[in-house]
Amino acid sequence: MSKVMKRTGLPYTASKKSLGRRLKNNYIGWLFILIAAAGISLFYFYPMIRALLLSFQSGMGANLEYVGLENYIRLFSDPTFIAALTNTFIYLLVQVPIMIVLALFFSVLLNDATLKFKGFFRTAIFLPCVTSLVAYAVIFKYLFGVDGLINKFLMDLSIISEPLNWLSDPFLAKITIIAAITWRWTGYNMIFYLSALQNVDRSMYEAAKIDGASSFQQFFYITVPMLKPIILFTSIISTIGTLQLFDEVMNITNGGPGNATLSISMYIYNLSFEYSPDFGYAATVSYVIVILVVLLSLLQFKVAGDDK
Amino acid sequence: MMKFLYWKKTGLFLLTVVTLLALAACSSDDASGSSDTGEEPDKITAWAWDPNFNIAALELAKDAYEEDLDLEIIENAQDDIVQKLNTGLSSGSMKGMPNIVLIEDQRAQSFLQSYPDAFYPIGDYFNTDDFAPYKLAPTSLDGKQYGLPFDTGVTGLFFRTDYLEEAGYTKEDLTDITWEKYIEIGKDVKAKTGKDMISLDPNDLGILRVMIQSAGSWYVEDDGKTVNLVDNEPLKKAFENYKAMIEADFVKANSDWSQFIAAFNSGDVATVPSGNWIAPSIEAEESQAGKWEVAPIPRLDLNGAVNASNQGGSSFYVLNIPGKEKAAEFLGATFGSNEAFYQDLVLDVGALGTYAPAADGEAYQAENEYFSGQSVISDFSEWTEEIPSVNYGLHTYAIEDILAAEMQNYLKGKDLEDVLADAQAQAESQLK
Repeated sequence: MSKVMKRTGLPYTASKKSLGRRLKNNYIGWLFILIAAAGISLFYFYPMIRALLLSFQSGMGANLEYVGLENYIRLFSDPTFIAALTNTFIYLLVQVPIMIVLALFFSVLLNDATLKFKGFFRTAIFLPCVTSLVAYAVIFKYLFGVDGLINKFLMDLSIISEPLNWLSDPFLAKITIIAAITWRWTGYNMIFYLSALQNVDRSMYEAAKIDGASSFQQFFYITVPMLKPIILFTSIISTIGTLQLFDEVMNITNGGPGNATLSISMYIYNLSFEYSPDFGYAATVSYVIVILVVLLSLLQFKVAGDDK
Repeated sequence: MMKFLYWKKTGLFLLTVVTLLALAACSSDDASGSSDTGEEPDKITAWAWDPNFNIAALELAKDAYEEDLDLEIIENAQDDIVQKLNTGLSSGSMKGMPNIVLIEDQRAQSFLQSYPDAFYPIGDYFNTDDFAPYKLAPTSLDGKQYGLPFDTGVTGLFFRTDYLEEAGYTKEDLTDITWEKYIEIGKDVKAKTGKDMISLDPNDLGILRVMIQSAGSWYVEDDGKTVNLVDNEPLKKAFENYKAMIEADFVKANSDWSQFIAAFNSGDVATVPSGNWIAPSIEAEESQAGKWEVAPIPRLDLNGAVNASNQGGSSFYVLNIPGKEKAAEFLGATFGSNEAFYQDLVLDVGALGTYAPAADGEAYQAENEYFSGQSVISDFSEWTEEIPSVNYGLHTYAIEDILAAEMQNYLKGKDLEDVLADAQAQAESQLK
């Protein structure tokens, strides 16, 4: 800066020039993000706004008209929507904790320094995650069929005397869905914990051992607090994932029996494609998912996050 | 150098702006609907599902058509067709839409009313009086004929002669019976042979629809809109029959199509009450040749109920886009009026249309070796004429999902009157 001033000898014009250059630099900088910003606006924000507008309309197919808040009011008196919401929350409250605990458990086991064939076990538990959602859902459907492997297995072990109707009993069908999602996503969450565990200083465990801490104490007083941000992250991701649950329900039970396993996303699909199409109301239901994701994430931050 | 770079960036900027403008222009005309302008295309496209049945029928029609026509037949799953039509038509852009599309009768009204002007009336291209009346109601709207009726979906009671014989029943014992009688026989068959009587998917209430249409009733009244569940006597009977079947313990549960097929191909069930389109799937198991016959479908125990009903069945529609005249002429000249073509259809594809003049043809009288020498086609076309005509209306599948949920409550012991009243209330609040 001083060099420039010396050379021109005119501080005033020099600063003017640098202002101009700064503006130009800014302009070029803005140009760089313009494409990304335009892309996001066009492919994210624009559809979001259109969907919001759509959620205030109702009508069959192309005959949409603005109805104000009617769709949102309709939600509260729609038993199918309430059933879908209840089911989704049951999945959420039962499945996410089970999965998080299992993933934590596996990751600690697999992080053991003395464990042999570590790579093999890690791969084995992560592998479900690379399977296609539809393909694994179809396989689960056959496993849990009346003539399926699960029933055969349980009968051979004399745990049950006659085949269970896994897919057509309202309670068992929910269990089937929860079992399927847990199988598919535990390994995925485990990987996050495993990588976070690599950053936990081993000397802390050594110190704890010297002080006589048991494995349980080490787990609860070292591992869990150190993993807290990751646990928060995975539970938010899993919550969002569960709220958007679709493929498994669609392929394993098709929402049935009745609507005992119907998820919100599947109800959106039904409203758009299975019944006489009402895209307006379907958009309203999908905005409910958006609102829920925001609320639940805030809640989780409040409960588990640091208030910094 | 600097200047060059600068220009390059401005160029990039301009490019972005142009792209944005172009995209905005694409999305801005969402209200314009279908366009009648545009050039006549060289190629006519048709969408349908089921390669052994609908696609094969279209191929046959293409060969039978005397004019020179470049027809491209594209196979899609039915769900995909429904989805593509809904997204395509509601976007207002008819780009990528086919000229001819097959739509299931029970869904047709939903499309015709959801997307006015998207379909082309083809009533002038064939004589509607030649077709079975029950096919015309769902395929027309406001007095205009939009669909060309295709397969009948007439139902029959397919049964294993050997199992029934073992239990002491003949074909006469199964002919023109009520569902109550059917259940009674089913219990007997189960007790004497150990075989299940029927295979059902608990998520699919198709059998209820078969039952109520035999009594001329539907989930909605004749206007196609007024929900008709609570005082619907046939529906009540159908619910009772359904529960009786489940409780009789002769139902083999299936959860999808392939398990359904496997249930009878493996010889596990004694009867298959179904639309006639199931015949090719039954015949696929060659080891059971000569062990099957078809009786008329059971009826509800009500006055006016007949031993004939309908399940599935679809029709062809022409979209209101360039090429519509060509497409309509093609349909009119083949499915709409060609008797010889219908004979081939029966012989080569096994597809039974609803074109009445074709029923006198030779192919319709042929005996079917697989079904113990029965003249299956002739029987089916006879029953077709008796199918009561009902207006399926718009909301068959929406109402059926509500009923499916209530059916679970009913099976658990909830009172039938309450079940139907609750379903009625739900349906009314949902389908405004």
